[in-house]
Amino acid sequence: MTMSDAIPPSTPENFQAIISELRTRDALKTQFLSNISHDLRTPLAAIITHAEILREGMFGALNARQLESVSGIVNGGQQLLDMIDEILTYVRSAKDQIELTVSNFQVAEVIDQVTLLNAPLAERKQMAIEKRDGARIPDVSADRDKIKHVLANLVGNAIKFTPEGGRVWVAASRSGDVVTVEVGDTGPGIARENHELIFREFAQVDPSRSRAHHGTGLGLAIAHKFIELHSGKIWVESELGRGSQFFFTIPMTPPAKE
Amino acid sequence: MTAHILVVEDSELVTDAFRVLLEGSGYRVSDAATRDEAVSIAARDPVDLMLLDLTLPDGDGLEALTAMQASGTEPGATLVMTGDDHPATRERCLAAGCTDVLIKPVSILELRRVIERHIG
Repeated sequence: MTMSDAIPPSTPENFQAIISELRTRDALKTQFLSNISHDLRTPLAAIITHAEILREGMFGALNARQLESVSGIVNGGQQLLDMIDEILTYVRSAKDQIELTVSNFQVAEVIDQVTLLNAPLAERKQMAIEKRDGARIPDVSADRDKIKHVLANLVGNAIKFTPEGGRVWVAASRSGDVVTVEVGDTGPGIARENHELIFREFAQVDPSRSRAHHGTGLGLAIAHKFIELHSGKIWVESELGRGSQFFFTIPMTPPAKE
Repeated sequence: MTAHILVVEDSELVTDAFRVLLEGSGYRVSDAATRDEAVSIAARDPVDLMLLDLTLPDGDGLEALTAMQASGTEPGATLVMTGDDHPATRERCLAAGCTDVLIKPVSILELRRVIERHIG
């Protein structure tokens, strides 16, 4: 029997059965994604360790060309590992296995950290990440790691999709009980009809462009999920050719648990 | 005397990589792919430091440490290496008597630094 045999015929009476069958398959697919990602991670970790051993010169110094080559293995491996981890994070969020770990922190400090981490990437594209406002916002109570993850994703995307010499900025402001963070860029922009689509899993609106950028297409879906867990909102304001501004809001204090 | 490190990990690829790294750093290395194998190695050859994976074919890695504690053969230090960054996992490992919990992937520089801190 093949999988397709098991889908009940699509008559109105069968809708419930069809929905339940599709849910089961969706869960199976998610589980498969989880298993395969874990299995990919193990040999990759071994490859990276071996390459790091060589790169550090534990068994003799490398010449410049050897070093370049071995560094390529480490960097490529790391990039692959980041993508696998993104899939695993997505799987956990799809299975509702993600909870908030709330602490008090400064949004400005998270912005500083993310900016610092992305500075080398920005420099390579001859741009600086501009920071605006932020310092006057009091501590928020939220999941610091998840907010950092969201911000890092938005800033990383902004740098990735903005051509050399463009501008990327991060701003934060507070209005009442809500903090709004903005990540803007002077990149190619996103057509209006795709403004919601990009927050769905596996969506990359311009196949030619995303191919060059090697993403999983899960970054914004994860960001959406993390912000939703905080009872916040995330959206984009953009037009083709006019850059993009991504915004997210989080309440100053976490939502009460249901 | 050369410090003895026991690598408890079910992936041979990962074990091999650690063996190259640790022997290259001057340590004596044993490896175990299962909980039971780890316990029997510790019983016959005292372990200074154990690198412990939590997911083993015959059970939870922490059970190996618990069994060693019961027979008085626990390593001088136990470092858990796991891909699970959930705070509850860390707490569970520390409560079981582990020295530290490292989140995979651990860079070799960090691993060497942590090992040196615990066994010099």
